[in-house]
Amino acid sequence: MLSRRTLLERTAVGFGSLALASMLADESSADTPSANPLAGKPSHFPARAKRIIFLLMSGGPSQVDTFDPKPLLTRDHGKPFPFAKPRVQFNSTKNLLRSPWRFRQYGESGLWVSELFPHVATRVDDLCMVHSCYGTNPSHGGAMMKLHTGSDNFIRPGIGSWVSYGLGTENANLPAFVTICPTLAFGGVNNWSSSFLPAVHNGTALGDASVPAEKAQVKFIQNSKLPRQIQQLQLDRLNAMNRRHLRRSGGDASLEARINSFELAFRMQSSIPQLEDLSRETPATLKLYGMDDPGTANFGRMCLLARRFAEAGVRFIQVTHNDDKVQWDQHNNLKRDHEKNAAEVDLPIAGLLTDLKQRGMLDDTLIWWGSEFGRTPTAETADGRDHNPEGFTMWLAGGGVKGGFRYGSTDDYGYYAAENKVHIHDFHATMLHAMGLDHERLTYRHAGRDFRLTDVEGNVVHELFA
Amino acid sequence: MVSLLMCAVLLAPEAAQPQPTSEQIRFFEANIRPLLAEKCLKCHGGRKQWGGLRLDSREALMKGGESGAAVIPGNPGESLLIELIRETDKDVRMPKDGQLTRRQIDDLGRWIEMGTPYPASTTGTQHKRDPNHWAFHPPKEQPLPNVKNSNWPQTPIDHFILATLEAAGITPTPRADRRTLIRRVTFDLIGLPPTPQEIDAFLADESPGAFARVVDRLLASRRYGERWGRHWLDVARFADSNGFDENVAHANAWRYRDYVVESFNRDKPFDRFVIEQLAGDLLPFDSEAQQHEQLIATGFLSIGPKVLAETDQSKMRMDIIDEQIDTTGRAFLALTLGCARCHDHKFDPIDTADYYGLAGIFKSTLTMTRYTKVAEWHEHLLPSAEAKATKADFEARIAAKKKAIAELAGRGDSGAGLQPARNKQQDDKAGSKPAPQIEAQLKKLKQELAALEKEGPNLPSAMGVTEDKIVDVAIHLRGDPLKLGEVVPRHAPPVLRGPHVPKFSDKQSGRREFADWLVDPNHPLTARVIVNRVWRWHFGKGLVRSIDNFGLLGERPSHPELLDWLARRFVADGWSIKSLHRMIVMSSTYQQSSSRSRETSGENESLTTSAAGDPDNRLFSRADVRRLEAEAVRDALLATSGQLDTTMGGSLLKLKNRAYFFDHTSKDLTTYDSRRRSLYLPVVRNHVYNVFQLLDFPDPAVTSGDRATTVVASQALLMLNSDIVMQAAGSFAERLIADLDNDDLRLTRLYAIAFGRLPTPDERRADLAFLNRVEQAQSNENTDMQRKKAWSTLCHVVLASNEFLYVR
Repeated sequence: MLSRRTLLERTAVGFGSLALASMLADESSADTPSANPLAGKPSHFPARAKRIIFLLMSGGPSQVDTFDPKPLLTRDHGKPFPFAKPRVQFNSTKNLLRSPWRFRQYGESGLWVSELFPHVATRVDDLCMVHSCYGTNPSHGGAMMKLHTGSDNFIRPGIGSWVSYGLGTENANLPAFVTICPTLAFGGVNNWSSSFLPAVHNGTALGDASVPAEKAQVKFIQNSKLPRQIQQLQLDRLNAMNRRHLRRSGGDASLEARINSFELAFRMQSSIPQLEDLSRETPATLKLYGMDDPGTANFGRMCLLARRFAEAGVRFIQVTHNDDKVQWDQHNNLKRDHEKNAAEVDLPIAGLLTDLKQRGMLDDTLIWWGSEFGRTPTAETADGRDHNPEGFTMWLAGGGVKGGFRYGSTDDYGYYAAENKVHIHDFHATMLHAMGLDHERLTYRHAGRDFRLTDVEGNVVHELFA
Repeated sequence: MVSLLMCAVLLAPEAAQPQPTSEQIRFFEANIRPLLAEKCLKCHGGRKQWGGLRLDSREALMKGGESGAAVIPGNPGESLLIELIRETDKDVRMPKDGQLTRRQIDDLGRWIEMGTPYPASTTGTQHKRDPNHWAFHPPKEQPLPNVKNSNWPQTPIDHFILATLEAAGITPTPRADRRTLIRRVTFDLIGLPPTPQEIDAFLADESPGAFARVVDRLLASRRYGERWGRHWLDVARFADSNGFDENVAHANAWRYRDYVVESFNRDKPFDRFVIEQLAGDLLPFDSEAQQHEQLIATGFLSIGPKVLAETDQSKMRMDIIDEQIDTTGRAFLALTLGCARCHDHKFDPIDTADYYGLAGIFKSTLTMTRYTKVAEWHEHLLPSAEAKATKADFEARIAAKKKAIAELAGRGDSGAGLQPARNKQQDDKAGSKPAPQIEAQLKKLKQELAALEKEGPNLPSAMGVTEDKIVDVAIHLRGDPLKLGEVVPRHAPPVLRGPHVPKFSDKQSGRREFADWLVDPNHPLTARVIVNRVWRWHFGKGLVRSIDNFGLLGERPSHPELLDWLARRFVADGWSIKSLHRMIVMSSTYQQSSSRSRETSGENESLTTSAAGDPDNRLFSRADVRRLEAEAVRDALLATSGQLDTTMGGSLLKLKNRAYFFDHTSKDLTTYDSRRRSLYLPVVRNHVYNVFQLLDFPDPAVTSGDRATTVVASQALLMLNSDIVMQAAGSFAERLIADLDNDDLRLTRLYAIAFGRLPTPDERRADLAFLNRVEQAQSNENTDMQRKKAWSTLCHVVLASNEFLYVR
């Protein structure tokens, strides 16, 4: 069968790997430094950030309506776009469409933010805006997979799984990669599955986009019928049965690991709900995240959960803003729906930044705000924009990046990335760099060759770092 | 610890080289081997040895050349190699033709520091693109090896296995006991546990051939095709949804699934099975049923995942062709042909021209009827009397609706007969206008008619391919459909020696010719690959471990002669999978126990045991303990709790063809509450049934001949808390309580059904104590209820236990 070591690599006892590590301590000397697949691993070089919180605005917020103001777009409203449109477009669009929102400069840095994000605007001196992001795929599905995994034509591990694989978890009782209310559409589970990486690096999903954050649960985390006391009796009996079977089967590492996994699962049944229990948070904190307002409470809870998982040692926490439509996908009703969407996330995001800063966690937590693509500056409808992977804005904060900084630009109308272009692969390489990982060295051998998150691409954008 | 050391000693005889860890091997293969090959071996390798120095093995590095040892393992600072590559004087510095980068120098230093691990090229990179690679030449005839212990072999397989064991000084493990054997072979062949009656019958049958009769019974069972067909569905990346970006229903994919099950049950010769899947639409037929079967078979080429909203249509078309080439390559040849789309294959001698030679075959094949988003795949209509009746029925329904509308409209005009229903207001507006009720009724009827027309007659159809315009394809430079190179005539990869060279005409796509080439008895791969797959499904690992890759990056076979012998025998036996099963399960190799006893039998002191001499069981010196696959876990839960519904075939999908599983709402409406066998549950790409997903069901978007078995805490949560396990436990308990009136008898039955054995006195005591404690813990319920619940919790423990979920 498997060698003991291969088995341990594949054995994703995960939550509570310390126990596993100690179980195996007596043979670690003959092997790699740690046989536990989730044990914290040293980075390739000193890390700026210890963890990433990814705030995914599913559907594609418009860059020219949020963080990338274009005066010429306002001036030339209604005129044809003066450059060639991309060879491949998702839908066809018409003439230029000005932004219905005004922009203002904020903070010491004087970065521009539109009226859509008044609260985030107050944190602008912590933000590192990358205006020249671009991808290759104009469909939600392909672009989402590209954004998460770097690939839109193969099933590959996502960045959360790569970080888990590269660095392990800081807390032996928790997974390294948690995703809160992810969308099941557009690649779905492929966006947080470990693919060919060992199963322990799968994202642990709390609920999905069809349930409110309040109801988001890890699958099978609780038993609605059996009281804990009876489950304890079951666990004891099960343990005895399994030990006997192990002796009779002549000792087999997978049988042993499975015995252990039950004990860990049982512990997880209390540790995860504890993290989800917000009752000990102060009213001030809850207010900071907008938990007192029904409009912001749902995303606010996700952001607060993200902070709690970050504090507890999870490496990669993803929060998805996705309602029962494709949240930010305003082919029409741009004015109404971008306003509604921004109002749901603006205060909670600002709250998260403030809270992390107050707790001294912003320095080593990298916040990543973004989406699968931006939107066209041209009109698909009188009040709507099409998908645009050619140029859009994502921003980072904390984790050693420069605050109040803008990098790269789009053309005068905000259609194409122009100066200092940053491809999704470059963005990935840069975030891994912040985590102390060399994207060219973070490889995994599968099907006879070494794979990377950035495939054969990716350049670290060193200019972003302070 | 002891076994690890033994293992290291056995596998690494070269002095002082500790067994490299996989991390080190990875580092070496990724960073060092390519660097040495590119920068050093030209002058210090097999061909030339400047300065008497070779750098192509660890020994050579340590031995060094005229200036002494090139490296001191563990000590880069003292190593001449590092000194020379860092040298500032250009005349002295190595390599001569340009300085290494900082990164390369660091990597070499790191490598020496970790002890200079220099694994022999198991990955085959040294023989890059080697046309002499074993798998590219037909299997050779192999004599049965001689063995000392001539009593052991029961089938020819055993000669090969035993000869290797004897050469390694290892004694095989004794035969498993009968209870273990029948449990093993029953799960193996039909994917379900043996019933207590079947076990008793086998135990009671002391005549010769008792086990063979069990095997025959299992191979004749209809459950067999459901088990082994599912194995093939892993390879065929079968799914009831497209997955990828537009997750729409393959509502007719089930016909392909049922075709596979039926093919296995009928023991369809594998060569025929291959031809039907690639070119069934091109084969002659004797009956309507055969025609349908052959059309359905081509679903193999159509059920792959497709980016249906790809806006670049030429890219979409080439992506679909690529998926077909890649799947066909992996499934039948265990080669990664897809790599050659953009560049000549890095490791296997498959050139871009070979890739586009195959692409011509698939471009001449019609898979899609429309490429505009959302694109649509082709389906074969399956004409039959039944279809004709459906169509006639549909037309009658349309006609009836139209008639009803006409009549109602007529009545509305006259306004007669509806007077009582009118109210005062309407009476005031009397006129020729139809009454609102009638208008509403009309509207409803018209809507129904429109819906009916839109739905169409829903004639039986199957996903599959047919012929398109016959073309040869130009090489796409770097895979880019916009940058075309020269046009390549359709051809099969010439590196695969042995079979006839297929001739392609401008009359047919060439699928038929390609399929015939694949199943040529002299083909180097097709028979070997399937024989290895079958071996893997029986033993949990192949003779070639890299099941889906026989190329240069794949592993070499552990028993090359046996693989060749089996492949040739398989072809000689008419490509019969069932004969292959018999050969395998009747062997002593298969029937060994999983015991890891370190005691030798004492007969021969010079032999060592499986546990000591073959710790990883690479040589098949014992049986492996294996967890049941996802489907078998669920089927066993249903079977033991008496809930299993053995109805075969058909679809459990509730969606219409091409309807979205869930687009942006993230609400998956698929239900899995059926009690049918697992293979009939919908397979939804991007959102596989969570029970299966947790239990290592493979990604249904890609070929998978080698499922992983992971152990994760989330599986334990599933066993502790999921409805499926709780329900099975409840039904199991009810069954025991209803059938038997005391706990002793119930315990006996519980163990017989779940474990296939009797409980020991200790186990009885422990279980009774458990029942009592659980009963006491739930105080405020009546006694019967308490006992029932207690039994349910005990059954729950049993169903979650390793003995239930693992086969020894």
